[in-house]
Amino acid sequence: MTESALWAIVTGVANVILVLAAAPFCEGIIRKVTARVQSRQGPPIWQPYLDILKLLGKEDIESGESPGLQRLSAYLSLAAVLTLAWFVPMGAAAPLTKAGDAILVIYLLTLCGVSTLLAGLAAGSTYSLFGVSREMMAMLTLEPLLAVGVIVGAVETGSLRLDDVLNASVYSLAAWPLAGILMLVVLLFSLQAFVGRVPFDTAEAETEIMEGPLIEYSGPKLGLFKYAQMSKLFVYCALLVGLFAPWGSQWPYPLALLVLLAKIGVLVLLITLVGATHARYRIDQAIRYYAALFVLSLVALTLALVGF
Amino acid sequence: MISKLKEAVICLKAGKVTLPYPFAAEPVPARYRGRPIFNVERCIGCGGCANNCPAREILLSDVCQEIRIMRYLGQRCTYCGRCADVCPEHAITMSGEFETATNDKRDLQQELEVFMGTCQRCGRCFTAPGPLEQLMMKGYRQDDLPAGRWVYKSRSFLQSEGLPDIEIELD
Amino acid sequence: MPARNVLNQIKERFEPSILRVDVPSDNRLFLYVTPGVVRDICNHVFRDLDARYVVSIGIDDRPYSGQFTVAHNFGFEREKVLSSILVNLPADDPVIDSISPAVPAANWAEREFRDLLGIEPVGCPSMKRLVLPDGWPEGVHPLRKDFSWDLKPAKFDENKVFAFDDPPEGCVVVPFGPFHPTLDEPAHFRLYVEGEIVRGCEYRGFMVHRGIEKLADTVLTYNEIPMMAERICGICGCVHSVAYAQAVEQAAAIEPPARARFIRTIMLELERLHSHLLWVGLANHILGFDTLFMQSFRMREPIMWLCERITGNRKTYGLCVIGGVRWDITPEIKDDINRILDQLEKEWIAAAKAVQGDRNLQKRTKGVGIADAALVKDLGLIGPIARASGVPQDCRRDFPYAAYDQVDFQVITQAGCDVWSRVLVRVLEVFESIRIIRQCLEKMPAGPIQLQLDDELPPGRIGLSSIEAPRGEAHHFVVTGEENRPRRWRVRAPTYQNLQGIPAMIKDQQLADMTISLGSIDPCFSCTDRLEILDIKSGDVRVYSQQEIVNMTRRV
Repeated sequence: MTESALWAIVTGVANVILVLAAAPFCEGIIRKVTARVQSRQGPPIWQPYLDILKLLGKEDIESGESPGLQRLSAYLSLAAVLTLAWFVPMGAAAPLTKAGDAILVIYLLTLCGVSTLLAGLAAGSTYSLFGVSREMMAMLTLEPLLAVGVIVGAVETGSLRLDDVLNASVYSLAAWPLAGILMLVVLLFSLQAFVGRVPFDTAEAETEIMEGPLIEYSGPKLGLFKYAQMSKLFVYCALLVGLFAPWGSQWPYPLALLVLLAKIGVLVLLITLVGATHARYRIDQAIRYYAALFVLSLVALTLALVGF
Repeated sequence: MISKLKEAVICLKAGKVTLPYPFAAEPVPARYRGRPIFNVERCIGCGGCANNCPAREILLSDVCQEIRIMRYLGQRCTYCGRCADVCPEHAITMSGEFETATNDKRDLQQELEVFMGTCQRCGRCFTAPGPLEQLMMKGYRQDDLPAGRWVYKSRSFLQSEGLPDIEIELD
Repeated sequence: MPARNVLNQIKERFEPSILRVDVPSDNRLFLYVTPGVVRDICNHVFRDLDARYVVSIGIDDRPYSGQFTVAHNFGFEREKVLSSILVNLPADDPVIDSISPAVPAANWAEREFRDLLGIEPVGCPSMKRLVLPDGWPEGVHPLRKDFSWDLKPAKFDENKVFAFDDPPEGCVVVPFGPFHPTLDEPAHFRLYVEGEIVRGCEYRGFMVHRGIEKLADTVLTYNEIPMMAERICGICGCVHSVAYAQAVEQAAAIEPPARARFIRTIMLELERLHSHLLWVGLANHILGFDTLFMQSFRMREPIMWLCERITGNRKTYGLCVIGGVRWDITPEIKDDINRILDQLEKEWIAAAKAVQGDRNLQKRTKGVGIADAALVKDLGLIGPIARASGVPQDCRRDFPYAAYDQVDFQVITQAGCDVWSRVLVRVLEVFESIRIIRQCLEKMPAGPIQLQLDDELPPGRIGLSSIEAPRGEAHHFVVTGEENRPRRWRVRAPTYQNLQGIPAMIKDQQLADMTISLGSIDPCFSCTDRLEILDIKSGDVRVYSQQEIVNMTRRV
């Protein structure tokens, strides 16, 4: 085993632990800030940890059409997110940059969504199928956005290698990195949708289709899904930071981590505030919104191709 | 966008309004209708509360000639306060108690044993009636205490005159 | 004499068929007609005289007159007259022409008296069960006088299921309810969905029957019923208790003191305030906008505290007794009311401005849940739904009660016919309510708040009372009776009519809009379901024991 491989494993495991430890904390911040916006006291900031512990400790009930697939999708959802964490720089360089490229990252991102689809299909209730169809519609229009985001970087550097793409490549080429800035704006506007928060939580929509794909889940499996959702939020924010705002990530280890956490904190705050001040969109309205963003991202891609 | 800002201002102006309820309860207002409290010192055993209780929560049972038992069950009581309204002696007060959750519903019961006097004028009306006479006697109540049920008097019994010289109106 | 004018108009065509006429006051009219003409006369009243259909009531009058009676109530808004068209039916063969073909709004009410009293409405387009549970034996009618209030029918069939219609071609059946996060109470909508579009629906409700009307006919007394009536609904309880008290007072020709009437008005408007604030909150919650939900609940809370100070309880005021009210408004409480109203008005002006300009909300509510004026007329839709469709219908103005004839207020209307218009109507009505309460506080005379009633109420009289509840007109119908209790008490809550409009409102809409369309009528299922006896679970789901469910979920 070479030293670099060992290093990759160490940082990778460190990333996974970081995600698992910090994700519920982000959720706690979201809940607390939302509560304050709503003039409420709000739950203690460590409540999400307790929630997850409680869910994991409950009886594992097997129900629905295909219990095996349900279990698989629960594991898959968390596994996909945690695998993704190996490709995102968190305080240090991304652990597995040598092993994969930008395409793999896009696949992993899609896999997160696919696990939700599987969960809904496996549950097989009418409401979860509605959730699945909405999630699928959203995925079809959303995933290209992120793909374009990664590819813009690839175009700028002329390489699909992850370490090249991640290192602020989007701003590297032109004096006025229009493509990068445009893409950053687009991704900021779509971040809410990626993490499935109000106003884009159409696939879960508690008051319409009762948590959609997750309607049949309870106990540990629900705990895993919830954990995966929280982790997804953290990893997506980290990825966004890695792609578009990596300033400070070259600093020595603890400092770089703090900078990253601060930036993620800002993003989480943004997500919270947008979520707290909007009503949920209907799926057709959401799709129209995504489509507009997609057009913008294509413009960014074109700009990148012509060298801005 | 502007409306969102306006909404944000509304939210921020309000500040935190959650009350620290289970740790510190707000004082209840003066007219608050909580759990009724029965004062045995004042009760004259007229049964007005029992007859006006919409939830039939107050039972009367005449154990013997001179002892009337009043039992307030407190299970279905809606704290409407009609009993306190109609009590001629103000023996019932609506207290400020509202935290009445309990594992044992008997905790909510109140039982009064009221000593009833004998009629000074005729002296006859309170001779201990037999079971059949009890049923026909106006004013004599035998609610089902063990089962916690009001006994509905049927009209047919009351129409026959139990004791024609006494006028005790219940309904 | 507006009631006389209405009578003369009806007489022009139906003079020979009118058996008896009662005009107890200027604004009440009772017509006894022969059974043969009932459909024609209702059609004439509903279409030609443009009366609004209120409700139909079946009465078991056999112990007294040996007959069944059916009353069709109509409201003449222009003339400010509430009228009842009564038909006596023979005891052995209670059959009446259905008026539903002429008056579509009567469908539920006719099915209801068919279920509960066994009066057969001949020609009713839908004869399915409405109120009784599916397993209830045929031919047992719980509201008949010979049915004891605590009788449990022996042949209840737990396994019988409700026969729903077949879904249209190409549609998936989506069960909406009986338990759903946006339904705070149980009701079952069977939605026929094509893709994300709702193509139709069938309703099966009445799952929370509590037998209140039967209880009132047999067990409770006049002054106990108001305490029960206000528990019909968790939001508009005061409305029901005032409406009941007014119906009895009107039947017995009792005039409550002026101060009591003003206090009733104030409490009704306070109730409207907190109900509208609650609705704005809930509608936003349905749309996923929880911040506005929390904020409107925050603004609502001082009103609840105020009610607690006035009456001793946040919600169940225990306000009404026959002939007055129980709680007086002291000068300190008056100051309190003024202070809290000022505060609320200030905050609500800001909130209303923010809501009115919110594009995000408009996107979700404009063009959603359309109920146009024709639908309002046909199905007798009422309250904010009617006013949001440009129909200026408001019982406070049309049939003045309590002290509403002495205050000045506007009837808010909007022309959009959609959910957004309903939002606006309710948001703006808050200001009108505040105005009404202020005027009442100013004009309230001194004096007693309760009448001393020494005589028994005369039996056999009929009282009608319509009150503008926050959700629309709440209508109470009382026939006074012996033994200190009414013979018949019928409650028609606003949701009873408005729910009938839901299938038309959600047709061809997105499934996501279904919840807010339903939410926009502010449905109150416990109001609607108020009747019926026993706590028998609805038969349309087989009842599993806990053990069975556990066994089903665990595949061993």
